[in-house]
This record gives sequence, structure tokens and C-alpha cells, in this order.
Amino acid sequence: MKAVGAVCLILGASGFGWHLASLWKQRLALLGSLRQLVYFLKGEILYSHATLAEGLSQAGRKGGGPFGELFLEAARRLEQRDGTPFSQIWQEEAGKVKNLPLAKEDWEKLEALGSSLGYLDISMQERTILLYLEQLDETIRFLKEHSRERCRLYMSLGVMGGLFLTIALL
Amino acid sequence: MDKKEEILRLFPGKLREILGQVPGNFEDIQEIRLRAGRPLLLVKGNEEFFLSLSGKPVTAIDRAVSITASQIRETVEYMGSYSLYAFEEEVRRGFLTLQGGHRVGLAGQAVLESRPGAGYGQIKTLKYISFLNVRIAHEKKGCASKLLPLLQDSGKIQSTLFISPPRCGKTTILRDLIRLVSDGGPSFSGMTVGVVDERSELGACCQGIPQNDLGMRTDVLDCCPKADGMMMLIKTMAPQVVAVDEIGSEEDFRAIEYARSCGCRLLATVHGDSIEDLKEKPILKRLVEEKTFSRYVVLGNLPLPGTVLQVYGRDQSLLYGNPAEKRTEKRLAGRISL
Repeated sequence: MKAVGAVCLILGASGFGWHLASLWKQRLALLGSLRQLVYFLKGEILYSHATLAEGLSQAGRKGGGPFGELFLEAARRLEQRDGTPFSQIWQEEAGKVKNLPLAKEDWEKLEALGSSLGYLDISMQERTILLYLEQLDETIRFLKEHSRERCRLYMSLGVMGGLFLTIALL
Repeated sequence: MDKKEEILRLFPGKLREILGQVPGNFEDIQEIRLRAGRPLLLVKGNEEFFLSLSGKPVTAIDRAVSITASQIRETVEYMGSYSLYAFEEEVRRGFLTLQGGHRVGLAGQAVLESRPGAGYGQIKTLKYISFLNVRIAHEKKGCASKLLPLLQDSGKIQSTLFISPPRCGKTTILRDLIRLVSDGGPSFSGMTVGVVDERSELGACCQGIPQNDLGMRTDVLDCCPKADGMMMLIKTMAPQVVAVDEIGSEEDFRAIEYARSCGCRLLATVHGDSIEDLKEKPILKRLVEEKTFSRYVVLGNLPLPGTVLQVYGRDQSLLYGNPAEKRTEKRLAGRISL
């Protein structure tokens, strides 16, 4: 019985470590797809002079994924013209995908993008998007650089923690 | 969607709430004027009136709701779909065209491009936009059908110039005439019409597709300067009829001459009171003298916008109406008839 319990504990703790490592990788993949969408949006705004609704819609359709849905839904609500300001629409729609494994700072930056988009002229749009892309790039770089060590750390801590708990409880 | 709902969708938050309480269906509303620190004003027919906070038409200015600068700013951003960067050229020229073909005139402080040694530069954009004039587009199908026979010769539409001051229905009649000429009828065949819709008022294009019915044989060049657009259409789409709204510049004149030399019929509008009025303007005088148009239609707004006062032929002979009849400005501020 004890042996079965010990195996379960070690497996559970290792699984938790594996889960943390996978969240790290998922965050990296999500931010990568978000970056691609923002690049699409930049293209639509700067080169096609598309409105926010058109740009978000085109980028969302091309990019797909959960952030693609966010872009499409924000575009749909903008076109609906229900009187709601864009910053509010963006915040509300971003709130709907907050179950995704991103850090608090990622959400804050994404929401800030929504409150700055559409302000002033085309060069302001370019600067706003480039600033956001720069922030995204920094985060992605950090996640990539530390990906291997963090994943190993989470996995080893999971296994070690399981072993430690097993020994402590025996 | 009815007219009122369509118009309410143009406005954000509080303004939508106030306008939503205005009685009536907005079919006859011509303009909604917003000025920072001034009362909200509606123009209906030949009358104008203020609105109270509860959307009730009022005559006393102290009961009228006043518009704030921040409301104007919010309205402009909302009307521009939070994408004013995409309408830089329109803002520079002082207007925005909204879905449905409604046009918003903008005024504020002009930002000029500085050109060393060249005195004042060109207008770069507008800032501190504090005055809005929302001109409501009305698609009235069939409004030009009675006029059409007067504009035809042997079943063929003649080059026609509509003359009237603002708010007399020039664009509405031109739009319907384009549809009629394009679709054709039992006694005449339809013609290919090329429309240069510089301000998106005729077709009200949304992503290139006209929202107003301009007929089955109509090609629309949207948001394109008239003169360039006319040349482009003639070269690429081979129209039998070219239609443009509000001509007046030297470039327009040259493009019209080019269209005429290519054998195209022209349908156009111009600001003015009468043919005599046109003759006082150098460019338009040439159009009349060179007999560019075969029909001149003078419009008035009494009893209603779109009233045909006179129709003249190529040699300015009267084909319809009383030459003595003039459109008389008769706006009665404060009269309420909703």
C-alpha cells in the first residue's frame, strides 16, 4: 500500500513539474502567435490603410488561434457600432481569453495596446505597434533563452519534490 | 434597420441616448449639427430646432442640451471607427463619409504644412475639431423618374447638369437618375454608367460595394478625385455615361471636356442658383458657353428639397418651369414640426 502511495506521490509531483514546464512552452507559443497576428495587423494598417475593424478582421482570419478569435470578435463588435469605445471592447474581449496561460504582465501589455491603437495618425499607429512588438520580442527572447533550464528545473523539482515528500511521509 | 436606427448608430453613448428619444422616424432629418459649447441642432426640411436633454424638441435655448468639446472628440473618433489615421485625406479635406453615405463636415483648427519661403502651406490636417455637420443621405428611389423624359432625346439620356444651392436634393436626384439610366426601362435600354464618387455620397460604398442602388450597369470608383477618376473610368471601364457630384475646379473642367470628346454623356451637379449664376463663375461659364451640357436642371427646396424649378435645353431654352421662379431661403429657426 505504501509503495503504491509513494509511486502516486512521485508521479503526481513529477506531473506537476511537467505541467509547469508545459505552461512555459505554451506561453512561448502563444506569444509567438500573438506576435505574428500583430505583424499582420501592422501590415494591414500601414500598407493597406485599413481601419482597425478591417485590420483586426483580416489579421484574425489569417492568424487564427485564440488570439485570432480575439481580433475577430473585437472587429465584429467595432463594426456592430453599439456605441462602446474601442478600448472597452478590447478589454472586454481580452478578458474572455484570460484562461490562456500568459503572465499578468503579458495581459497588461495586451490591454495597453488596445487603449493606444487608433490614436492619432498613421505614424502613431506604427510606433504603437512597433513598441508592442518590441516588448513582445523581449519577452519571447527571455522565454526562449531560459526555456531549457526552466523546463529542466520544473521537471527535476517535480521529481525531487515527489521523492522528498515520499521519504518525509514514510 | 429603419432610418432612425441607422442614424443613431453613427453616434456614441450620450448623444445616441438623446437622439434616440427624439420623436419621429428621422426620414426628413437633413442635418444634425454639433458645435462645442453650443446647443445640439437638428435641421428638418426648412426648419431647425434644438433638443432638450430628454430629446424633446425645444424652442428656448436655455432648455437646449449643450454639446461639450469632449463629446465632439468622442463622436469624431467613434464616427471614424477609432481609425482616423485611415481617413487622413478626408479629414484634411474636412469631411468623413460614413456607412450609409452620410457625410460629416468637420471644422476646427487647420494644421498647415510649413514650406519655407512659400508663405502659408497646404492644410495637413485638422485639430481641435469642434464643429460637426452630419448630413443625412436619403436614398429616394423613383424621385427622378418624372424628370427623366425631359432629360432624354430619342430615348437617350442627354448630358445634364443639376444646379442648386446646398440641401436642395442634387445628390439624391443624381443618385436616382444614375440608377434609372443604368437599369433602363420599357422605352429605353440601360446604359453603362461610370460613377466617380469622390466623397462616397452617391454609392455609399462599404469596402468597395455600393450600399445604395446605382443600377445594374454601374461601375463605381470610390473615394477618388473627380478629375483623375473620370479619366481612369473612361480609359478602363468604357462608360457610356459618366456621373460626378459637385464639379467646380479647373481639373474637373478638363476631365469633363475629355469625357465629352470621348463621346460619353455626363451627369453632374454644381452649386449655384441658376444658369446666370454659373455664368458669373469663370470655369462654369465656359461649360455653359461651350454647350458641354444639353440639359440644365435648376432645383429648389420649396415646398420640399428636390423640387424641379426649371429645366433648360442646350441653348438655354426653357423646357419646363417658370423662369421667374426662384428658390427662396426660408429657414425658420425654432419652428418645431416633429
